Amino acid sequence: MISLKKRKITNSQLRTETKTAYLCLIPSIIGLIVLTYVPLAAVFGLSLFRWEGVGTPQWVGFANYVRLFTRDPYFMDSIKATVYFAMLAVAGSIIYSLVVALLLNRKIPARGFFRAVFYLPYVLPAMAVYIGWSWLYETNFGLFNYLLSLVGINKVMFIGSSELVVPSLALIAVWLSGNLIVIFLAGFQNVPRVYHEAAEIDGANSWQRFWNVTMPCMTPIIFYNLLMALITNLQVVTPALALTNGGPGNSSCFLSYLMYTYAFRSGKLSYACAIAFISFLLIGIFTIILFVTSKSWMFSEGGDD
Amino acid sequence: MRKFTTLLLAMLMIFAMAVPAYAAEEPVTITYSYWGTPDEAASVQAVADKFHEEYPNIIVEVMAIPNEEYTAKLNTMAAGGNLPDCGIMNENGVLDFASKGLLADISEMYAGADAMPLDSITFKSEGKPVAYSAANEILFMYYNKDMFDAAGLEYPSATEAMTWDEFIETAKLLTLDKNGKNAADPEFDPENIVQYGCVVDNWTWQLEVFALSNGGRWFSEDGKECTINDPAVIESIQKVADLTLVEHVMPYNAGLEDNGIQRSIATGNVAMATGGAWNVGTCLNSARDDIGLNYGVARLPMMERSVTICTGGPQVVFSQTKHPAEAMEFIKWYMKEENSWDSLIATGIWMPILEKYYTDPELTAKWIENPNFPDAEEYKAAVVDYAMECAESTCWYYIPHTNDFINLLRSVLGPVWTGEQTAEQAITENFDALNDVFLGF
Repeated sequence: MISLKKRKITNSQLRTETKTAYLCLIPSIIGLIVLTYVPLAAVFGLSLFRWEGVGTPQWVGFANYVRLFTRDPYFMDSIKATVYFAMLAVAGSIIYSLVVALLLNRKIPARGFFRAVFYLPYVLPAMAVYIGWSWLYETNFGLFNYLLSLVGINKVMFIGSSELVVPSLALIAVWLSGNLIVIFLAGFQNVPRVYHEAAEIDGANSWQRFWNVTMPCMTPIIFYNLLMALITNLQVVTPALALTNGGPGNSSCFLSYLMYTYAFRSGKLSYACAIAFISFLLIGIFTIILFVTSKSWMFSEGGDD
Repeated sequence: MRKFTTLLLAMLMIFAMAVPAYAAEEPVTITYSYWGTPDEAASVQAVADKFHEEYPNIIVEVMAIPNEEYTAKLNTMAAGGNLPDCGIMNENGVLDFASKGLLADISEMYAGADAMPLDSITFKSEGKPVAYSAANEILFMYYNKDMFDAAGLEYPSATEAMTWDEFIETAKLLTLDKNGKNAADPEFDPENIVQYGCVVDNWTWQLEVFALSNGGRWFSEDGKECTINDPAVIESIQKVADLTLVEHVMPYNAGLEDNGIQRSIATGNVAMATGGAWNVGTCLNSARDDIGLNYGVARLPMMERSVTICTGGPQVVFSQTKHPAEAMEFIKWYMKEENSWDSLIATGIWMPILEKYYTDPELTAKWIENPNFPDAEEYKAAVVDYAMECAESTCWYYIPHTNDFINLLRSVLGPVWTGEQTAEQAITENFDALNDVFLGF
């Protein structure tokens, strides 16, 4: 019977189908090539020159890269700050949004209202958000320090000190992660009821059900959110532009901010290209690590394809 | 009927062909870029329209670019070959633009003119003038008169600079905690300060004045050497940081924003603050209405000698322009004090660039005796005379790459303001990097 269902695909049919498939892919391939690969190659090419926006570029080979790793006063601090920020922001926002989504998934009163409240930060204009938070964080007259002073804690320089600036900014990023909550919520609602029912019949308590049924079903969603959050946060630039100007010292001088500063404020375009390319490699490395490790913890219903 | 239509069409065609012949007589439109809000640009556009009345064959369109992104925007436009015809520039980018050949030759600008702008505000590359500032802004000190009255203190002198020790003592008496105790009181609580005695603006470029005042220099006078690791310079920076760290008379500030006066005198919670002349027009005037501020002006406190620095964004013609003659015409006209008088000088934002306004009592009176300014007698002594007696050029008039240098210095000094590093540690550790940027990599 089965052999009847399976139509035999001839070679010529296969070829036509393949052709159609490639034909349909052409627009997106063109887009990918023109908008992604060509600029990427151009950025790499330009990074091998010395070019300040005007005049003829001079070939310098890998001198820009050498300078970045040996003499640049910002670069190493910048990589540290970016990775530190991304780790805090990714871990924080995944845990935060998972917990919030879990709560919002229960039958609580005014659920729609709370869902809106937690999603709202994500749609607010970034500049307004950061300026608002800067008032909360303000050292002398800010709300947080006022509250701390009520319980007798001395002034804390949230964005004014080089130790606290990155955690403080990461906290804002966590607060902003409303989009992750929405994706998690959708994920929770997709966990098949039958598994829960089966587990219940087997006598699993609610914690066991969460840990052994819900979480494995959620791992693909967690993976997706982890990946997106990682890529977004490794490219962080807004808080440095809006609040800190990369300071104090170099403590919040994120890679994208450094790239922007060199390219547009100093006009060293080819040097900034070298930073852009390294930033690409950095994100690439982290993405590969994530993909490789995911095999060991991600539960895939559809097998290995 | 048909014939008539054909005739009409033919006439239209002839007419249409004739138009380009008149087009040669049409006015030339040039673009002038200006930093500021759309509101500010509107007032500049009004001035440009006045120019058009005098020169009907030139139309000037004002392009407003937000101040903090001004250099970035110009750099980008330069790379795209789309610079405006002329515009104002950030001081710290002028010599770099000149060395890239982006500025038009201005040697003819003051040919045959009866008065030249002051030498201290002329940008020079290898000794040759490349741009003239449109204003002669100096740094001085603002103070809150009501706070001095409340503390029973005499106002700072407008003719004599305070010594640094006097400045600290005065600031202590004006720093109050929530119990009303001042910083000289042994029971003073530095954790709960409600009014600060002073703000010495640590917005990076303004620190140069204290290096000079302490007998040091950021760069050698001939511009060939970076001397920021000179002990006198390091000490001057440490003295500013110690106002917060040791004396508790100045609120902590990371020095990352250009807002010294806005966050001090204009908010009414600080008694004395250093800042630029433009603050009279850009924020203090409105603070008098908004919070009933009653302020005065005095000379900067001094470390070893009394000195201030002068600066001002220059009006330049960009070399990418297709209409250099017209652009130069406009810039020449606009640089004349009388043409920017109402919008910029009488409002207290710009100080004039020609010496006669400082030396001729009648012209001085015309400039400062108006309700936008604080007390005229005080302003004359503390600002007008101060500018003549003690002003020296800010480094960007003769040192290239100051944009990158000052940005790096800002990040180097971050840990100094928090007290994590001393000025000596910070400067010594980073001197090679600073010198690298000074030399231009």
